[in-house]
Amino acid sequence: MTTNYMQNTLIPLQDTSDEILIQKYMDGSKEAFDVLYHRHLPKVYKRVRYVVPENDVEDVTQEIFIAALKSLSSFRGDAKFGTWLRTLTNHKVAEFYRRRTRKQEPRLAPLSDAVAQVTGSTSQSLEERIFLQRALQNLPENYREIILLRFAEDMQFNEIAELTNQNLEATKSLFRRAVTALRNHLEK
Amino acid sequence: MYQKDETTEKDNELADFADRMIKGRIAPPASASDEELFGLEKTLLRLNDTFPPVTLDDAKSKQMLVRLKARMRREEEEQAAKPSFWKRLFDLQSNPQVGLLIAAAAVVLLVIINLPSVDPSGNSVTGTAFPGTNLFTALGLIGVLLIFYWISRRK
Repeated sequence: MTTNYMQNTLIPLQDTSDEILIQKYMDGSKEAFDVLYHRHLPKVYKRVRYVVPENDVEDVTQEIFIAALKSLSSFRGDAKFGTWLRTLTNHKVAEFYRRRTRKQEPRLAPLSDAVAQVTGSTSQSLEERIFLQRALQNLPENYREIILLRFAEDMQFNEIAELTNQNLEATKSLFRRAVTALRNHLEK
Repeated sequence: MYQKDETTEKDNELADFADRMIKGRIAPPASASDEELFGLEKTLLRLNDTFPPVTLDDAKSKQMLVRLKARMRREEEEQAAKPSFWKRLFDLQSNPQVGLLIAAAAVVLLVIINLPSVDPSGNSVTGTAFPGTNLFTALGLIGVLLIFYWISRRK
């Protein structure tokens, strides 16, 4: 009986759409949020990893999910949950940098300082990582977005085209312009 | 027309290069004959080398969820333990300036209510305390005082 109950309530949750999971969570199902969390955590984590210093990746990721939990009631389903969460992620990353600036910790602190804070990676690879993160952060939003969608979220170009309401040709063209801009930033 | 074809071809080539690279099937930058494309492919390789694909293992995901829930619970408890705004506002022992403010407002209100109003034509009107306009002025003043208090408490 218990097994049947679990099969009826827990297993289908894995196959349930985000929107229904949100509804279930709003109706009091804590498990629904767990499924939503595990479903979206990898993408959010990878995206944050591309734009935030290594030491802060987990904290910023947690902040994003806490904000999502608190504002799930305001999610009306006008856009897909993934898109909503992506916007929230970008917002939280921007907030992370604003807070750092307010704490008199310059957003673009000297590389040597940043390297000194982190252990475990070689300083050369860490410097390269910070250098690339800065270049990505300095890109126009649509350029940064397409690079993150392809690399951090591992979306195919046709999926990106669908998401951004563009045709495939325009999407690939935007990608090349984005990479060109990134190269120019790296060469500065 | 030729230029457009060439541009589209480069777009496709770079996109294909990115696809192959992400799948881990990559040779060194292939487009050595085209300097621009060669440079872009090198940029992509650099990006890929710096951020190699990671997979969040199950244990770490679960650990992060546990931490998230613990934090949410802590925040909810703190929220529940926190007295409401109105309770804090009228807690005169810890907030004596509110008491002073209320007293000052009451005095101002009494003074204004009891002031005889003056007719614009110049005739003083005696015995007409509590005129409607003065009451509104008094309420307005109290409102302003409360707004000042509200602004000062947010700083």
